[in-house]
Amino acid sequence: MEVRFQQVEKHYGKFVAVKNLDLTIKDGAFHFLLGPSGCGKTTTLRMLAGLESVSKGAIWMGGQDVTHASPQERGIGMVFQNYALWPHMSVRKNIEYGLKLKKLKGAERQSRLDDAVEMTQLTRFVDRLPGQLSGGQQQRVALARALAIRPKVLLLDEPLSNLDAKLRIEMRDNLTRIHRETKITTVYVTHDQKEALSMGSAISVLHGGRLLQTDAPRALYHTPNTGYVASFIGESNIYPGTIQEIHDGEGVIATGFGALRGRLGPGSFQVGEACEVSLRPEAVLLANAGRERVNRFQGTLISTSYLGESEQWHLSMGEDLTMKVHVFHGGATPKPAGEQVELFVHQDDVLILKIDQDLGQGT
Amino acid sequence: MLKPFEQTFNKALSYITVGLTVAMLLVFLVYPVSVILVKAFFGPHGFTLSYFGLFFDNKVLTHSLLNSLLIGFGVMVGCTILVLPLALIQARCQFWGKGILSGLLLVPMVMPPFVGAIGFQRFFARRGSVNLWLMDWGIISKPIDFLGDEHMLWMVILLEVLHLYPIMYLNLTAALANIDPALEEMATTIGVPRWRQYLDIVWPLARPGYFAGAIIVFIWGLTDLGTPLLVGFHETLPVQIFHMVSDVNENPMGYALVFIVVVVTVGAFLIPKWLMNPDKYQMISKGHRGQGLKSLSLGPTALVFLLFLGVTFVALIPHISVMVTALSHKWFMTPLPEEYTLSHFKEVFGSELSLRGIQNSFLFASLATLLDVVLGLMIAYVVVRKLIPMAGLLDALAMVPLALPGIVLAFGYVVGFAQTPLDPFDNPVILLIVAYGIRRLPFMVRSATAGLQQTNVSLEEASLTFGASRFATLRRITIPLVSANLLAGSLLAFSYAMLDVSDSLILAMRDAYYPLTKAIYVLFLEYGEGEFLASALGMIGMLILALCLVGASLILGKKMGELFRS
Repeated sequence: MEVRFQQVEKHYGKFVAVKNLDLTIKDGAFHFLLGPSGCGKTTTLRMLAGLESVSKGAIWMGGQDVTHASPQERGIGMVFQNYALWPHMSVRKNIEYGLKLKKLKGAERQSRLDDAVEMTQLTRFVDRLPGQLSGGQQQRVALARALAIRPKVLLLDEPLSNLDAKLRIEMRDNLTRIHRETKITTVYVTHDQKEALSMGSAISVLHGGRLLQTDAPRALYHTPNTGYVASFIGESNIYPGTIQEIHDGEGVIATGFGALRGRLGPGSFQVGEACEVSLRPEAVLLANAGRERVNRFQGTLISTSYLGESEQWHLSMGEDLTMKVHVFHGGATPKPAGEQVELFVHQDDVLILKIDQDLGQGT
Repeated sequence: MLKPFEQTFNKALSYITVGLTVAMLLVFLVYPVSVILVKAFFGPHGFTLSYFGLFFDNKVLTHSLLNSLLIGFGVMVGCTILVLPLALIQARCQFWGKGILSGLLLVPMVMPPFVGAIGFQRFFARRGSVNLWLMDWGIISKPIDFLGDEHMLWMVILLEVLHLYPIMYLNLTAALANIDPALEEMATTIGVPRWRQYLDIVWPLARPGYFAGAIIVFIWGLTDLGTPLLVGFHETLPVQIFHMVSDVNENPMGYALVFIVVVVTVGAFLIPKWLMNPDKYQMISKGHRGQGLKSLSLGPTALVFLLFLGVTFVALIPHISVMVTALSHKWFMTPLPEEYTLSHFKEVFGSELSLRGIQNSFLFASLATLLDVVLGLMIAYVVVRKLIPMAGLLDALAMVPLALPGIVLAFGYVVGFAQTPLDPFDNPVILLIVAYGIRRLPFMVRSATAGLQQTNVSLEEASLTFGASRFATLRRITIPLVSANLLAGSLLAFSYAMLDVSDSLILAMRDAYYPLTKAIYVLFLEYGEGEFLASALGMIGMLILALCLVGASLILGKKMGELFRS
């Protein structure tokens, strides 16, 4: 079911938790709300669930205005960050409780229970109390409980944040599989960009109550629309600069270590405008002697850290500017600090961005 | 790895604590109670059940048992009805002035209900204020005999409810605060109506906390001596026992009565546990503060204010009645006194009985509190840091006095320590201090435990890594960190010791050793000015306690309310 936020705002007294949110979540999407804590993502989810009132604007679900509808009228299933399992009810009772209230009887109730339990591989645990389950199992019970009522929209509030790293990866695959099987429109709140990039069909990045960008994972990584998004999704080197030339969606920007030619990000640019430029550390390459002429610059090595398959270099670019570079196939011996390094970056990997006045500069 | 010395220290601390606690409880709890139990079944000619036969043949005694049970249940039900809406609002809503309102609700605790009974009689007597008002306004033509025999039970229940409801309130709000609001939100998202959420989720989860409060209120109501004594409701077990203390050597029925009180008390603790046996679950998630609380707008906030302030006001009526009585000069046949005077206070300060009562209470209560702080902190430390195997058992042991009615303990002391150096007929000071202390030890242990649990053990370990000794760490790091909890626990222990009725009335037999409460009682019994002087002394006690609590809340600030929940 399609979900649409229309100029939605949430105020707590003077504090604005969510500001003028316009967002459409497509039917069947696995949509991520991504941002640091306090960015308004959980508030947005809770407004969608009907647990938090909307201060301004409207929320639509499948063409229906649900802004003032009660949670149960919305047909949602929710998984809470701390699972919110009823500790005095067995796994079976936790799952069945919602079904009983929907007056489902006999075979129908049983089959829904079986489906949910099977999908989450909980068959062996149905008669246990939540306190007797591990964190991962509890998480699955919460999921099974939300799925059993066959929600039109599934809401997940940081569902994996209480699990250890290994379980988290396992559960990611589980969630992806369940979404593929059920095709339920899913809204997933997280601060973990890896979860969002690996699972999402679309990602919305929020910061300080504002929606910065909504895009598919690859597009988001490739063309972030602000320095903030560029450095929040993955890593990025962000430098201030002034536009010197513009032609055909491309531009040249003067930075503290020379002019760079690259793509222009979203928005309209003017020659002479103060902008930012973003370079991904893995896009900065070692320059082969003499070949490339544009986007070539020098840096002084400050330190290196060896990571096995790659190493990370920390360079000084002069004028208090530094740069992070990922170098693959590093040599067998470390490069000494202080060495001059010739670097190069493809035109397509240089992204010129407008400065977001509200955010200030990236990084 | 701990250094050998640290291990020795830990071990020594554990053994000393366990030894001291066990010894204290054996000598001053197990022994006196067992003496009574044994004497209840063994007469001069060996084992006998005849005392119980006599008990059930005696109409007055069986009525007393029935009345006491009724008082217990009445107090429990009354407190529940009064507190339930308040606790639900407190736990689930956010509104301006919440902290103050919650704090005000606890104010009535500053006076034992038996003092309130003195003023209450002035208000509710046949020719008392209430009747006179009602007749003035033409609502009734003949005075209602509120204090008549058939109403005395209700008077006692009312006074007890107005005094004990804060305990229920603290327990219930703590239990509700422990329930993660997300549990209800989840139910909301799948369409569970509000009332079913209360029934299916909130109630089962709050039940243990509710019963913890309900049992205490039941037992304290049932075993309270002062209130029925002063209301003149003699057909209750505590009053009957009180009257039997003095001639216990000639009349062994007292043993049987105390035994029955013990049985009822133990039953009250075990039956709910047994009923709730299937409830063996763990709370897996705790509530997040602030989240899921409903913000109230102006209208509902006004209603909540009305409710909270209304309850506080009603609960303060006994206090007000005592105050009016203490200040009244001429008071005949008018709703309120015609003239007010401070002369009763002057008289109180001029009387040796009152002054000594205040002094004695201060001394005994302070020493009892000191005993509690030392013992309570040691027990809590050993339990929380798990320095001995089965530390839970030590904790349970320290909690036993909570279940023990003062009347049972005091009776046991009189019997058990007769003709020993501690004989209360000669000098009850040590026994009074111990009785005050031991019965308030649970507050201290709970407070200190709560504080230590919130204090991460790594804070201590950090200090140890800098080379501080275990003892220095305890003194410099641990105790300062839990000092707020210790202070809160001490104040609670001190206040309750100052207010103690049953131990004081029974154990202090000579006026040189009378504590405040006994002095009030003795003054009340005097003809003529008695009730005015008793009220004035009650007022003074109340002021002292109020000052203590206000001082504490100034020191602790906003933390106060949280600490009293432990």
